[in-house]
Amino acid sequence: MLTYSTDATVDAVVIGTGAGGAPLTARLASAGLSVVALEAGRHWAPARDFATDERAQSQLFWTDERLSAGEDPLAFGNNNSGIGVGGSTLHFTAYVPRAQHDDLRLKSSFGVGEDWPLSYGDLEPYYDELERFLGVSGPSSYPWGPPRTPYPLVPLPLNGAAQLMQRGCAALGIRTAPAANAALSGSYWQAGVGWRAACTNRGFCQAGCSTGAKASMDVTYIPLAIGHGAEIRSECFATRIEINSAGRATAVVYVHQGRETRQPCRAVFLCGGAIESPRLLLINRLANRSGHVGRNFMAHTGLQVWGRFAEEVRPYKGIPGALISEDTHRPPDADFVGGYLLQSIGVMPVTYGSQVARGRRLWGNALSAHMRGYNHVAGINILGDCLPYAGNRLELADERDARGLPKPRISFSNGANERRLTAHAERVMRDIWKRAGARDVWAFPRNAHIIGTCRMGTDAASSVVDSDCRSHDVPNLHICDNSVFPSALAVNPALTIMALSLRTADRYMQRLGREGA
Amino acid sequence: MRKALHGGALTDATRAAVSTRLATPQVIEPRFFTSESLVTLRAVCARLVPQPHPGAVDIAGAIDTRLADGIGDGWRYDAMPSDGEAYERGLVGLDETAREMSGGAFIALSGERQDAVISAVEGGSPAGATWRSLPARRFFEDLLAEAIEAYYSHPLGQEEIGYLGLADAPGWQLIQLGERHPRETPPVIGEQPHHDG
Repeated sequence: MLTYSTDATVDAVVIGTGAGGAPLTARLASAGLSVVALEAGRHWAPARDFATDERAQSQLFWTDERLSAGEDPLAFGNNNSGIGVGGSTLHFTAYVPRAQHDDLRLKSSFGVGEDWPLSYGDLEPYYDELERFLGVSGPSSYPWGPPRTPYPLVPLPLNGAAQLMQRGCAALGIRTAPAANAALSGSYWQAGVGWRAACTNRGFCQAGCSTGAKASMDVTYIPLAIGHGAEIRSECFATRIEINSAGRATAVVYVHQGRETRQPCRAVFLCGGAIESPRLLLINRLANRSGHVGRNFMAHTGLQVWGRFAEEVRPYKGIPGALISEDTHRPPDADFVGGYLLQSIGVMPVTYGSQVARGRRLWGNALSAHMRGYNHVAGINILGDCLPYAGNRLELADERDARGLPKPRISFSNGANERRLTAHAERVMRDIWKRAGARDVWAFPRNAHIIGTCRMGTDAASSVVDSDCRSHDVPNLHICDNSVFPSALAVNPALTIMALSLRTADRYMQRLGREGA
Repeated sequence: MRKALHGGALTDATRAAVSTRLATPQVIEPRFFTSESLVTLRAVCARLVPQPHPGAVDIAGAIDTRLADGIGDGWRYDAMPSDGEAYERGLVGLDETAREMSGGAFIALSGERQDAVISAVEGGSPAGATWRSLPARRFFEDLLAEAIEAYYSHPLGQEEIGYLGLADAPGWQLIQLGERHPRETPPVIGEQPHHDG
């Protein structure tokens, strides 16, 4: 790996190496820019370091404490927050549906929420490129959304949970398809990376893929970036972005093994996710002339419905999210704004037990009896819209963490729209499970992915970045991760974050060619 | 499962993680709690998560180790104090509730009466001064979640429910409904699920 001196000024410093930071690091480096990417966590060697053990793999989660407030306090850590080179893609389920046209037009469609300052057409070439590069496995004909290029790989095999959901949906006339997963159904040659081996159906995506079959950033864009001359500095926690008198970013200060270091640079790309990105800006009192940093916080509606079946499911095998339906993208009988997708889910025992604790409060003999049915459990999950509300926001708390920095306090309450959407979804999922033959069906209320807090928009008074993810206030600062989403989208965010990342790099390069800045 | 530990079904990383946990001795000298608090915590955990071989998995010890090492899971309820303070005060609160309800410390009560105390805390408004400033339902939920996670992350807890996912070094080819590899031995307990729901 090429390294750069901290005495020299590099072209770009990228903060964060997840779905937002990694693709643009590779893109900028491939264009010949000198790029240093900072990552707070470690650079793992998955085959050596990743155990099939949920407790051991808690090493993949961001465990600096966050304070969860509001009526529906949000779980962080293993629910939605990763650390390490690759960021949250280290623990994402590899579910990569595209957003649809109308996902970006919520306000135009419903009069509430926000439109994106981008169209599907702006993202489509990047979706195509990403699916090809990552090696996405998916159905030859995808039943929802606009016409699209075929997925490069055939779908991953359906596991027990997927078969059961298929059975229940078929009985109700709900269309299903094998899901698009960024995990390889066959070995795959990746330009600039090499051969990656096919998925072995370990079912452990959410706690780290040890085989490299899942397209987390550490086995895809990061090696590509290094090959193009980028330097990845792991275990470096960014604390400051320095600004000169002209209002431009000049350096990033970070802490590595207790020592503060300063890296001068010509541009900064902040890609720390919807909590750490706004937190760093608020700590630095930066890029917040709009007052919108930390506001418009959203978290996908993510209700899960579990059922117990006579058949053995053994929910630890196979890609956890093997089956999808987007028939509920805009349900005809909806009494809410937006929509959701349905996916089958497998589950590991500690995660399931934790949900049984928080969702059912089973203890004593009732707990033991329930958990002995683990091998017969299957789930369905939704991923749905969430509107922005004034009260849902991130602020800095008075309390400080081990680094001496203010802890973030995140207030989150589902609004009437999220409650109606979730109630609709619960009815649908209970029906599916009933028709599939489930007993002991129960729902685990949950909000998943964290979104918003540095909204993208055309109006500098009500957004933090423009449609190129460039700060309205600091011209050489870009923010690129789930924090810039104006609306939540009724799909998982990872593929769209990566598309924004590539696009942000391309737009930056175009401007650089035009204006020299 | 313990047979699988010695076969080729576990990767080196998995075997290392599981072996370490199996070899972890019971905590005798707590590093975070007082000895008295640890005894109370042990008694509560025994009621929350019953074990076929009582005490085989040291749930309270695992909590003591976590708190002593200052390890968290990335978030806490804003309404709650720090994890350590919540545990210390919650255990005091349990004893207060036990005295109010049954006239003795929690550990002095019968299993049935201990369950009644736990139910009162779960219900959210138990007797006792502590609970006026410590949200009882949140305390109960956090404690139960941690106890469950500690037990089912242990090979013995996983064996009880027939979880064999860790034996994945050769990969899984038989993943459909009812399909099983030879190494996926039948559940030790509970061959059939209970159809009581």
